[in-house]
Amino acid sequence: MTEQRLDGHLNEEYILQVEDLWVSYQAERGTVKAVCGVSFNLRAGETLAFIGESGCGKTTLGLTFIRLLPATARVERGRIWYSRGTEAVDVLAMHEQELRHFRWRECAMIFQGAQNAFNPVLRIWDQVLDTARAHGETDKKKIRQRMEELFQLVQLEPRRVLRAYPHQLSGGMRQRVLIALGLLLNPSLVILDEPTTALDILTQRSVIDVLRGLKERLQFSLILISHDLSLAAELADRVATMYAGKIVELASVWDIYYRPHHPYTVGLIRAVPTLSGDRGRLISIPGSPPDLINPPTGCPFHPRCPYTTERCQEEEPPLQAVSPTHHVACWHWEKVIAEGGERMLTKAEA
Amino acid sequence: METVSLSLKRTWRLLTYNKMGFLGLLGVLFFILMSFVGPYVVPLDTQTKVDKIYQPPSMEFWLGTDSEGRDIFSQIVHGGKDVLMVAFLAGFISTAIAVILGSLSALAGGWVDNAIMALADIVLTIPQFPLLAVLAGLVKFNNITLLAVILGVLSWPSLTRAIRAQVLSLREREFVEAARALDLGTRHIILREIMPNMMSYIAINLIFAMTSAIYAQVGLVFLGLVPFSGQNWGVMLSLAWTRGAIFYKDSIWYIMSPVAAIALFQLALVSLSRLLEEIFNPRLRTSV
Amino acid sequence: MSTVTLAREGLTRLSPGAWLRRLARNYVLRRFLVALAKIYVVVTLTFFIVRLMPTNPIEAYINELIDQYGFTYQEARDQAAALFGLDLDTPLWQQYLQYMGQLIRGDLGTSYRSKGTPVSAMIAKFLPWTLFSVGVSLLISFTLGILLGMVMAYRRESLLDHVLSALASILTAIPNYLVGMMILVFLGVQWKVFPITQMRGAMSPGMKPGFTWEFIKDIFYHATLPIMTYVLTTVGSWMLAMKSSTISTLGEDYVMVAKARGLPERRIVTAYVGRNASLPLFTQLAISIGFVVGGSALIEFIFVYQGIGQLLLNSINYRDYPVMQGVFLVITVAVILANFLADFVYSWLDPRIRIQ
Repeated sequence: MTEQRLDGHLNEEYILQVEDLWVSYQAERGTVKAVCGVSFNLRAGETLAFIGESGCGKTTLGLTFIRLLPATARVERGRIWYSRGTEAVDVLAMHEQELRHFRWRECAMIFQGAQNAFNPVLRIWDQVLDTARAHGETDKKKIRQRMEELFQLVQLEPRRVLRAYPHQLSGGMRQRVLIALGLLLNPSLVILDEPTTALDILTQRSVIDVLRGLKERLQFSLILISHDLSLAAELADRVATMYAGKIVELASVWDIYYRPHHPYTVGLIRAVPTLSGDRGRLISIPGSPPDLINPPTGCPFHPRCPYTTERCQEEEPPLQAVSPTHHVACWHWEKVIAEGGERMLTKAEA
Repeated sequence: METVSLSLKRTWRLLTYNKMGFLGLLGVLFFILMSFVGPYVVPLDTQTKVDKIYQPPSMEFWLGTDSEGRDIFSQIVHGGKDVLMVAFLAGFISTAIAVILGSLSALAGGWVDNAIMALADIVLTIPQFPLLAVLAGLVKFNNITLLAVILGVLSWPSLTRAIRAQVLSLREREFVEAARALDLGTRHIILREIMPNMMSYIAINLIFAMTSAIYAQVGLVFLGLVPFSGQNWGVMLSLAWTRGAIFYKDSIWYIMSPVAAIALFQLALVSLSRLLEEIFNPRLRTSV
Repeated sequence: MSTVTLAREGLTRLSPGAWLRRLARNYVLRRFLVALAKIYVVVTLTFFIVRLMPTNPIEAYINELIDQYGFTYQEARDQAAALFGLDLDTPLWQQYLQYMGQLIRGDLGTSYRSKGTPVSAMIAKFLPWTLFSVGVSLLISFTLGILLGMVMAYRRESLLDHVLSALASILTAIPNYLVGMMILVFLGVQWKVFPITQMRGAMSPGMKPGFTWEFIKDIFYHATLPIMTYVLTTVGSWMLAMKSSTISTLGEDYVMVAKARGLPERRIVTAYVGRNASLPLFTQLAISIGFVVGGSALIEFIFVYQGIGQLLLNSINYRDYPVMQGVFLVITVAVILANFLADFVYSWLDPRIRIQ
């Protein structure tokens, strides 16, 4: 369990408190366990990044927060407490109308692949207006003013973009339009799902810069979902590593990058080339991502892990605090830290 | 043996997956059997029986009798052959034209492609039924082969476009590239490499061409624009209509029998095409 | 680039050549030119085919005059030339130019059966009824098909979906004139729901055309059965097409994002799902228009409705060649123009076509 348990009472420090969340999909072959007992807290103004390979459940997690899971998915259990001023509400218990209000005004989710995020037959301005009207804002002048400010922040030319149809904008422009639109209603929580995939390097760079700038200027909490570790490193305060639908490590960004305790995190970090280049060799994690229909017994990472012992195959390690700011779910984290994760490297090379 | 029974089982499951489509298959088989074998079993009733005009269905007359007391069922059995023949022939001709022009268009490219596509566009634009009606006014369609040829010649464009698009995409695939590299000739490429990959399109469009041929054919005969004689569902319809069979309670079987025969055959064909679509395009199936 | 800036730049900087190229990229203009080209080709083809037929109608008419009325060849020929508005002594290409010139002036020749009546006047009398009945039917069936198709997509795999799907498949499969006949036999004669003899014709005798409630009620009354037939036989294909289009649109990212943006369901269904899902149907509208107008001869015959199809049929039965040719041309041109209209509406609904 992460940090302190909630025990039902509200902790005003947190904007979002997720308790023991389980989500599964019905597939032809069986039940896909996409999210298995995830718990964490998000402080107001904080940025938390979820990293992991594709298919580890991080996008499902994001969709669960705004209740946009596909029809085949089911939230098996758990609570998602969202703090609205002095009261906390369970997102999973919201009614249709309340949920509609919660989406975008309180929690905006900016999707991956914003290429098709906009209705192709409506001008950007009409879609902005749609969004504002849906939340009771009818003053066109005010909306326009706010949108122009935001476009300036994301380095877009407001007049041109507002008048354009989506297909007249480039992929990077559309991504930034979506980010700006996400901030239109001053949400207190923003979820960014792979904001830079499908963009070229230069555009990625500018989107990252835009996001950093926005975070400095505007007050919102951010959940960043990405497989791109450099993006997480630049934006996040804390990082959670996900594997097989579980958080396997949760720590401050500095700890994750310089003192990773979980072998999987070590692998992820080493799979990314660094520009300075001298800090070790580039590896890829051996083996394939776990089967979420029949997950391995014990620790889900054990079939790919060089530190595996008998205990790992039988007993699942809980997410335990190894310091006030560092949590890890591994029986052998001490060994990992002592060796600097060296075995991950040698196994990959072998 | 094992594999044969297994694949038979699989085929059976595929065929019966879509209930309506399976019924369609059975329906098409039934009509073919009835129209081509039926006439040898059921003799045509040509005898006028003044005392048996417009009889309701009975053990003796399964579908009742017509305005001259003749058995309607025997007429239905004998009236299918022409309709089916025209449909098959027209479907076959239009498919052949479409396959040739479509592949030619895609493989030759350039002005040939442009010309064929422009022609397809024009033929597709002209409303078919008025054209056929006008042609029927200028030329006497007194045999079914001529009618079938004309119907076939008018209904190739949509399949041609589909085939052209398919060939264009197949052309880039490896096995066709290899055949081209071996210089096996356009005919070989079309017949051996491309055609087998396009059976689904062809089968479905063949059925489509057949249904539109039946539509036009029966329509023309019904309006009296094509002076067919003898046993034919369209002729029956036309006769029943001109003899005022729609106006009496007892004559309803006379007019509705050919209506039902044509409608059911069309329905069976369309259902069969849906079944084929699902068999050839597994993405449409939810599961097998 | 937005169009406005493009246009402004165009005014100041572009050379005439670039202007032409820009114009050539305009979708609506391009479709219009295609429509004109099609009309030209059809008109030309008709001219030559009619004259190159084994039984050339002009020759046939000349022979008929000689055989039946004892005309001399020269008299018959002059009569035929006058009737078809042709000078048969000039070479074919001059005849062609003459024919084209007459067409442009709206002159389609005169009827052979009702002597002296211009074909264009006859068409003007019959065509409006077909345009009215077919137009209203397509509007009803297209709208109904889109609505029901969306319902089927939103409630897919439900009992309602299965029933509607089966119904749609059956209705699309049966030829429209058979459906018309069944309506006539069952609803008209057997169960007497509709007084069919009273409903014949395009309007009641003695009715004065005009924008009066009486007149509008009357023409709808008389068109009820043709409209019903057209709608029943076309709605199924719209339903099935809209269902599959809606299902694929529902999987689009922008629908998901619209939900995430908290838009009201009504707005998502109409402007996000409905509008995008209906776009592919507009391309099918063209084919449907041709088919329905083409089949109108059969439906108008069955219900004794005085539309262009009925005129075509009469002219064929009486071998009234000028009327036949004129009606055929007008039907084809009407279909081509209707296609253009469908293209126009399509481009208006889809900016990706309009602005490239």
